Amino acid sequence: MLEDELTVNIRHRDGVAIIDLIGDVTTFAEEKINGAYRQVTARGDRFILLNFRQNDYINSAGIAILIGIVTEVNQNGQKLAVSGLSPHFQKIFRMVGLAQYAEIYQTEEEALSAFKRLGSVE
Amino acid sequence: MSDAEGAAEQLIELRLPSRLGYERIAMDTAAALARRMGFANDRIDALRTAIGEAVTNAIEHGNQADAAMKVVVVLTVRPDELIISVSDQGRKALEIEQTKTRPHITDAFQRADKGGWGIWLMRELMDEVEFTLAPGGGNQVRMVVHLERSPVRDQ
Repeated sequence: MLEDELTVNIRHRDGVAIIDLIGDVTTFAEEKINGAYRQVTARGDRFILLNFRQNDYINSAGIAILIGIVTEVNQNGQKLAVSGLSPHFQKIFRMVGLAQYAEIYQTEEEALSAFKRLGSVE
Repeated sequence: MSDAEGAAEQLIELRLPSRLGYERIAMDTAAALARRMGFANDRIDALRTAIGEAVTNAIEHGNQADAAMKVVVVLTVRPDELIISVSDQGRKALEIEQTKTRPHITDAFQRADKGGWGIWLMRELMDEVEFTLAPGGGNQVRMVVHLERSPVRDQ
């Protein structure tokens, strides 16, 4: 009843792999998030956007999962950004230091424009 | 109404099974209470995160996720603050050192276990955080969040 499933959806726009995270990012989300990351990495995607919804619940276990993604993104020479975080979780991402490794954008469109400047569109 | 009745009305107690996900009941209850007390939205978000971490710790560590063991959450409403106490049954005691760590993301990159942010977040987000032993011998954390008033009125 309370083990809410996270829905993970992968899309591609303008040379960016967008991973939509719809639901809660807690310990239950680990396999789905890591699976989505492995999938886009196997395709050779270099620009990755984690697109959250405003009202989600992200706890410290979820933060640990995201730090795991950042670790691999750095090792694989990819670029990671996040969008759609509520002001509270933007603050937490800054406190933890995640914002230094994954640029925070308010919206998907803003993130795509920034990726374009980094060369996501050939 | 007697003083005792008045005081009793200001206490809300939840007894939750030690199963991950039930921390959400405590988060929702505390948030509803804080909203009625007049807390700003950003403080309510901070409270949700802090209480979620406290209850998750109690479930996973203190009670070792044994669903038969209870996590007790007591919310005490005072005119100018909300006090949140979370206790477990202490199957595993919390080491005091664990309650004082300041994790760094660059260290986490090197470790297989990238967690350990919960208690630090609680300390950062709440006005007061204190770890003690629960009356029954388990771990207990007491957190306080102050209702902010205008500086003029405080004088």
